[in-house]
Amino acid sequence: MAKLTLYDYELDDQCYKVRLFLGALGCLYDKVAVDVHPGSEHRSARYLRLNPLGALPILTEADLTIYGAEAILTYLALKYDTARVWLPEKPETFGRIMQWLAFSGSILSAASIARAHALFEIEADETKVYRKARLAFRLMEDHMTKQQFDDTFWFIGNTATIVDIALFPNIALSRDFGVDHDEYPALRRWMAHVRGIPGFITMPGIPAYH
Amino acid sequence: MSFSGGWYPVALSNQLEPATSAGTRLFDREICIWRDSDGGVHAWEDRCPHRGMRLSFGFVRGDRIACLYHGWQYDMQGRCRFIPAHPQLDVPSTIRVATYPCIDRLGMVWMCSDLKMEMPLDLPIDRRDIAPVRSLYVDCAPIATMQALSARSECTVLAGGALISIHAGPQNMIAGFQPFGKGKTALHIVFLGSPEQYPGNARRSAAVWAEELRHDLEREPVPDTAPAGSYEAAPWRS
Ligand code: FES
Repeated sequence: MAKLTLYDYELDDQCYKVRLFLGALGCLYDKVAVDVHPGSEHRSARYLRLNPLGALPILTEADLTIYGAEAILTYLALKYDTARVWLPEKPETFGRIMQWLAFSGSILSAASIARAHALFEIEADETKVYRKARLAFRLMEDHMTKQQFDDTFWFIGNTATIVDIALFPNIALSRDFGVDHDEYPALRRWMAHVRGIPGFITMPGIPAYH
Repeated sequence: MSFSGGWYPVALSNQLEPATSAGTRLFDREICIWRDSDGGVHAWEDRCPHRGMRLSFGFVRGDRIACLYHGWQYDMQGRCRFIPAHPQLDVPSTIRVATYPCIDRLGMVWMCSDLKMEMPLDLPIDRRDIAPVRSLYVDCAPIATMQALSARSECTVLAGGALISIHAGPQNMIAGFQPFGKGKTALHIVFLGSPEQYPGNARRSAAVWAEELRHDLEREPVPDTAPAGSYEAAPWRS
């Protein structure tokens, strides 16, 4: 089997989404550490050849190169989760998974920008990204509040899916940019369950226990 | 004393599971609430005596909470019992966290805002059968929120402002009122009745009603006329 290679930056929340899922799947992979800060290596010619957007994560396997956390999660689920629990095929479930993955790639990305702004002084319209990030968290909180009435701990259905993996890191790391979890009781409970997924891994800012 | 002493709800009981901690605020004071493994609730100043880390970030083991930074452990009385860097040390009893009176009532966690004053929690309603709906965090000042709620026909203010009785949709809905901070209020909403009486779909519609209430409160904020910081001037807590 061709080897999976993840081009990775340890402090990057998007890379963590992929590491988290690889851990949950129990996949073996090679990790190439990219010097994002302060080296900006992800913008070098070598990495622009892999991802013209100049961003991580990037995953390669044999001739395939794929970038972007949500795309990589989808690929890994279809390829390595033969039981189809992480990405169920049922149209209703699949449709809602795509809806939340799009959420992760759009409004929730404000949280990644806010964090990069706070940690690495990446330029950003602070007021705007903070407001957007908090709105995203509130929408997640409203959703998980209602999921509890169906007695489920997960974003969609009764088992963990790639949506739980895709949405976890931004809120779990929100204290890096000064957003506490005080207002998100339903997300606090959900995060405790994500931490209990077999193969769960930590990163700086996300301790194993809370 | 920066605000009037009294009991305030600070969380829904079911959102604080055994052996977990959470941060919250009361009049902008950072509070750590935690539930020990036996189910007892605690409300503390959210500051580790060592280096000031928020204790709510820490983790609960049995009847103690440990700080996330260097692992100092505190017992249920707030006294430091163990310092990992000095495992042999008999920790001086002076190292302790300020603790507030704290109790579970009406499906909510209540704390007394005053460290020194010990007054009993006296609520006009006393029930054990509670169906929790949700905690609602509204970006609207406590005074403005109270004014807006009092003006609504479906709301009745009880218990000096700590509880709001809500007559929207299914009856017997009640909200605990938490003056969170300067521009923020939390409402802890429950049904007075068993979860069988108020199954998932009833609570779901109540949660949707709450989202709409939040939308209204944030869209048309009543100007907060009270001078900054003078929470004791709140008219409903005379
Ligand atoms: S700050 Fe709490 S143990 Fe050091």
